[in-house]
Amino acid sequence: MRRLFLLGACLAATLLAAPLAAQERVLNVFNWNDYIDPYMVQRFTRETGIRVRYDVFDSLETLEGRLSAGRTGYDIVVPTSEPTFSRLARAGAFRPLDRALLPNLRNLDPALQAQVAASDPENRFGALYLWGTIGLGLNAERIRALAPDAPMDSLALLMDPQHARRIARCGITMMDSAIDVIPTVLHYLGKDPNSTDAGDLREVERALLAIRPFIRNFSTGGAIEALAGGQSCLAFGYSGDMIQAGLRAREANRGVAVQYVAPREGAQLWFDLLAIPADAPNPEAAHAFINFLLQPDVMAAITNHVRYPNGVPASRALVAPEVADDPAVFPPEALRARFFTIGPVPQAAERARSRVWARFKAGR
Amino acid sequence: MTPRLRRALVLALPAAWMLLFFAAPFAIVLSIGFAEPAEGIPPYAPLLRRGEDGALQLQLNMANLQLLLEDPFYAEAALRSLRVAAVSATLCLLVGYPMALAIARAPEGWRNTLLMLVVLPFWTSFLLRVTAWIGLLQDQGWINGALLALGLIEDPLRLLYTDLAMYLGITYCYLPFMVLPLYASLSRLDPALLEAAADLGARPWRGFLAVTLPLSLPGVVAGYLLVFIPAVGEFVIPELLGGPGAQLIGRVLWTEFFQNRDWPLASALAVVLLLLLVLPIALFQSRATRDAER
Amino acid sequence: MSAAPGTAIPARSRRFDEPWRDPAAEPFLRIEGVTKRFGGFAALDGIDLSIYRGEFFALLGGSGSGKSTLLRILAGLERPDAGRVVLDGQDMAGVPAHARPVNMMFQSYALFPHMTVAQNIAFGLRMDGVPRAAARERVAEMLALVRMEGFEARRPAALSGGQRARIALARALAKRPKLLLLDEPLSALDKNLRESMQFELQSIQERTGTTFVIVTHDQEEAMTMATRLGVMDRGTLAQVGTPGEVYELPNSRFTAEFLGTANILDGVVETTGPAGTRIGSAEFDMAILSDAPAPKPPGSRVYVALRPERLRIDRVDAAEARHGENRLAGRVRDIAYFGDFFMYHVELDGGRVLRVSQPNLRRITERPVDWDDQVVVTWDGQASLVLPE
Repeated sequence: MRRLFLLGACLAATLLAAPLAAQERVLNVFNWNDYIDPYMVQRFTRETGIRVRYDVFDSLETLEGRLSAGRTGYDIVVPTSEPTFSRLARAGAFRPLDRALLPNLRNLDPALQAQVAASDPENRFGALYLWGTIGLGLNAERIRALAPDAPMDSLALLMDPQHARRIARCGITMMDSAIDVIPTVLHYLGKDPNSTDAGDLREVERALLAIRPFIRNFSTGGAIEALAGGQSCLAFGYSGDMIQAGLRAREANRGVAVQYVAPREGAQLWFDLLAIPADAPNPEAAHAFINFLLQPDVMAAITNHVRYPNGVPASRALVAPEVADDPAVFPPEALRARFFTIGPVPQAAERARSRVWARFKAGR
Repeated sequence: MTPRLRRALVLALPAAWMLLFFAAPFAIVLSIGFAEPAEGIPPYAPLLRRGEDGALQLQLNMANLQLLLEDPFYAEAALRSLRVAAVSATLCLLVGYPMALAIARAPEGWRNTLLMLVVLPFWTSFLLRVTAWIGLLQDQGWINGALLALGLIEDPLRLLYTDLAMYLGITYCYLPFMVLPLYASLSRLDPALLEAAADLGARPWRGFLAVTLPLSLPGVVAGYLLVFIPAVGEFVIPELLGGPGAQLIGRVLWTEFFQNRDWPLASALAVVLLLLLVLPIALFQSRATRDAER
Repeated sequence: MSAAPGTAIPARSRRFDEPWRDPAAEPFLRIEGVTKRFGGFAALDGIDLSIYRGEFFALLGGSGSGKSTLLRILAGLERPDAGRVVLDGQDMAGVPAHARPVNMMFQSYALFPHMTVAQNIAFGLRMDGVPRAAARERVAEMLALVRMEGFEARRPAALSGGQRARIALARALAKRPKLLLLDEPLSALDKNLRESMQFELQSIQERTGTTFVIVTHDQEEAMTMATRLGVMDRGTLAQVGTPGEVYELPNSRFTAEFLGTANILDGVVETTGPAGTRIGSAEFDMAILSDAPAPKPPGSRVYVALRPERLRIDRVDAAEARHGENRLAGRVRDIAYFGDFFMYHVELDGGRVLRVSQPNLRRITERPVDWDDQVVVTWDGQASLVLPE
């Protein structure tokens, strides 16, 4: 049965990938949407002659579902360190990186590499691409008008019903992602963000249900539009999304100002890693791509474009000043000290968490 | 080719089709439903394993089924989905029946054009059509814009992300599946039957109830099932238009498969859902066949 | 008064008191100037017709003659563009189909397939709110009338064609309509069944006393059943009369040819008067004599219709083979054998063919006239039907 299933998937993958691969060198990339500077992809092709077929996903679930089935035909994927990357690495989904082909690995920040190693021992399978935090995107002016006493740098803005109730009038958008929100709430409540304890989860649920009436909608990708368009004045989501919302609001020039805040209670840190699937059809090209990306000028261009910090310190000098000086993009040391990372959770706990999430969304 | 061989081939083709595209996938899903989740690719342990003595062992994991039956969460989601599907199919029927009747009674030359108009939305992408509803229903959308401009409301109505929006979307998207079988059965109706009813003293409305409606019942049943069955598992429309409260079985399946990565449980759920839908319909069919034979 | 199936019923006109001959008689159904157009096409063009209580009236015509449209107007299923229909003193204008005291037996029978025989027959009673018990009694009565007792619980799909016709008739009669309309009621049946059903329809009509209007394209059916018939041609009534009148005394070439077979000769009226008419035929250089006065004055061109069964045929020597008064000479080109009679095709000079039928009185081998025989065809003055051109 299993063999039959794999055979089908394999057949589909070869049918899709094989004819082109035979004619020219092709690199198949599967990355988050809006997560690269497109000019850099063109530059890679110009420099190496390798054609890039670029495909995007918008949720870790999509990426993991595909990789779990195997035979995706992708050479490069960009999973987040926890939980997706670590889980897939343990499942044997990735090919170990060949360091001899990646001289630019030494450009990476050793301190960040050490943090990543918690999910990827010895940095065996992944090369750090971009990273960021999860926090609040807010329209300070409108929030201040509704809740003048609310702390603008705290998660309490969202999690304290006193504040959320008033802010609800200008709209609160919540990212639709249990794996990202629940650890943050655990941390906010003073618990271990990796806790699988049923009592802890019940407290999380209670806290979430208390603010449920004040949440206008659940959307991960839609938060950018909601904030920039003024339909929401507070959103919880990925730092880069919130910063992009601010940029877009400024471009629209309709008097909406959005900023990103990494909460002072400590923001959840995440890393997106470049990895090569175990069955990648063209691992050589994949290594070439990773090595290309890890150059300081390439990384600087990408950070300029997507507003997420990268793992190559030498790029900082090449990043546009307004980006380099934005504390939302490159958080100050004091704030960084309070960032936390999360680890893997057993499957039973995952289900318990997704239940909490389902009840939270349903408001029951 | 002997007639016998030809007959065998004629039967073999649909049988092969069913085997390849229904029985085999179903067997695969069923077997995953009895597997144990594991870290790996794919993320479950094979059913057939070599034991330590080298002999093949079949390991059936009943925990998935047990969880599905014991945890009311799944039954609730299934019931909610059945209810949503029933309401949607009923709405489709209420909207679709007059449409189908009007088309069936339209002048001959108009009918194909009207049918074409019913099917026309299928020419654009399903997602595009659902997204268009977002544009209509959102707070800054066309409907609220029009109502605000007319001064009928002061604050935008909450339309998007509500049950109303979800039902609108499902009814809109599935309407052709209702209209087409209804039209087929209504257009086959001998117009003389309705004339006979009128001639025998039936006012138009009674004639409809006594003749048109009962004789179009096969079309009603076909249309209802064609809407109901896919609506039970509908995932995209509630996700895009519905409120966050609607934990439908499609969403639960998605969560189990993608978020919890529990393929075995997701598979078991899919199988149970399929049986839930297929068994009553099969029962209904066999009864209908028996009635027809009587 | 009932008749067992298969027994011949004497010709209708003899037993019916023929109220249409009585100028004082009040018609039961009056159709006055009824016109109906579909698009630019006039399906009915100013129809005037009176039908009397208890009549069995047949509307006879080819397809497109408007006979079915007229029937549907009587039923209320179509609305006339002009003219009116008065039934039993009541103007039917504005009375919808469901409110008319008129019922119809449809060509397809239009039995409700999802209802049993009993439910079909009771349908009209149910619509009128007749109590259940009374309705059941009436259904039983109707089933007895059409001799279908015991079929109450059957579905129409489980009935034969003839049985369906009976149920359709029972259903249409159940409400005791003032007027029963029958739209080609027997056209779906085979010949033998059709004949026995014709007798049965007639017998039921007599027993119930209901006024019947039947539409048919089958002249035999119309002739055997009807008290009177109306021949329709392109939206008009070509002739109305008893079957005998219309057959024996057609008023036009159309009627003569539509009803039965007719040989048509043309000629010019030479003299005419109460004693008879003399018509000259230029084509054959002979004269046709008729006992009846001509419809046109002398000098007019007319048609003469000759029924094949009114002609005599005799073998003659070549010397006698010449035309004369009511006498045409020719050669037998074809003999069609119909069992009970022969139809001779006699070719006249000039290529015209005259059809002459002779009863089959002897065996084929002893036929007095055979292929290629030189013959003369002769007839009496009363066989010459003089028709206006």
